[in-house]
Amino acid sequence: MTERTDFLYPFIEADERDAGALLIDLAESARGKAAASAELRRVTLEQSATAVGAAAAAMTDRFARGGRLFVFGNGGSSTDAASLAALFIEPPWGRPLPARNLVGDSAVLTALGNDVGFDLVFSRQLMAHAGSDDIAIGLSTSGNSRNLLNAFTEAANRGMLTIGIAGYSGGEMAQSRHVKHCLMVNSDSVHRIQETQAALGFALWRDVQARMANEENGR
Amino acid sequence: MTAMAEDLRGGRDVDIGDPLAIAALSLARRFAGGGTLWCIAPEWPEHARHVAVEFVHPVLVGKRALPAVSVDASDPAVVLRSLVRSGDVVLAVSSGDSSSTLAVMRRAEAWGAMTIWIGAGEPPTARAADHILWVDDDDDEQKGLAVHDGRMVLLYHVLWELTHVCFEHPGLLAATDEAECGDGEVCITCSDEGRLGEVIATNGPSSFSVRTARGVEMIDTMILDAVAPGDLVLIHAGVAIAVLP
Repeated sequence: MTERTDFLYPFIEADERDAGALLIDLAESARGKAAASAELRRVTLEQSATAVGAAAAAMTDRFARGGRLFVFGNGGSSTDAASLAALFIEPPWGRPLPARNLVGDSAVLTALGNDVGFDLVFSRQLMAHAGSDDIAIGLSTSGNSRNLLNAFTEAANRGMLTIGIAGYSGGEMAQSRHVKHCLMVNSDSVHRIQETQAALGFALWRDVQARMANEENGR
Repeated sequence: MTAMAEDLRGGRDVDIGDPLAIAALSLARRFAGGGTLWCIAPEWPEHARHVAVEFVHPVLVGKRALPAVSVDASDPAVVLRSLVRSGDVVLAVSSGDSSSTLAVMRRAEAWGAMTIWIGAGEPPTARAADHILWVDDDDDEQKGLAVHDGRMVLLYHVLWELTHVCFEHPGLLAATDEAECGDGEVCITCSDEGRLGEVIATNGPSSFSVRTARGVEMIDTMILDAVAPGDLVLIHAGVAIAVLP
């Protein structure tokens, strides 16, 4: 979405004293961004319903086999990865499920970054921890983060279930044969992408919980 | 707060756009004055880190890097007490009933810090922070889900976006912060009716060093029974007149 305020104030900014016009414009801009975010979430969840269901079914199967979830990302996406791991292991309702984020330990991250390079900070952790029952979820707004692509390659080679959550048109993650399920948020705003990526993660969690509850009731 | 809110109201219902606009301009003014943004999220530390990285390393090329820090401590008040300087901002991403967040928010005035509280679910009381940015989730099946599905993240993303818009208006950044007294009127914050202070050290039987928005002051506590470091006191004319519960 274009930023209206970029051209609304062509007068000499340093002499501007009345904040009223700016505040009105800021509030309008905030409402526009909130509306755009809500619409992107709605459209994305609608278009991704089948893909989310397939990924959640595969996740449920892995969890049932004793698998664990590993989540990773860079920058703001690293915090979203941590949030997603927390949702699985400390859920607001339902069954707590084993999940870890690979971005939380500064000793591990700096050791790997310093010794083998930042491109390998996630793949090397998967080599140490993960097996064929486990699940890898990587979040990237561009879909092109080298350390995520390397992690997906390692994960696929280990027989893990691989799920990518990407923005724009999915970047290299969407093309990679090592990413089994790729969920995409079609937007060119990093912020709006991250908001809807969180919604996709929540939809995955919710679907896994529902499937587990159904299986337990069915027995 | 009042003047800015008046500017915005214009007969319309208040929605999230208004408090976001006001918080963004206030935050930009603090940054312009040299302030640092301290971010806490006792229950969800990753959200504090997300806010801080937005400001420190902007996703949009050309936007300035601004000083923001996430503080991950079990009792953030203990750490922030030493780190926060007058003119800074403390931002919490937290549920409305977090006791460790409340402990920080009620002390921030004594530290000279402006406060922003972002969250979802049951909100804190209206005066718990200078700026409260809350997800309206009344229609949800369960309160607090917006913490997990991106709707709470939206609030701090938009706060970041609007703050940078404010930097395109340097003439408006020099203005006095609305929470402070600058126009000769008596305001609760700055008048001597009862300024908030946090006791930091004992100097003798009835003299204490107290941290206030003005700095460290020597305060007479003779009329109080017992005061200990960490206590919040109300100060009037150089004397502590009450200890807050």
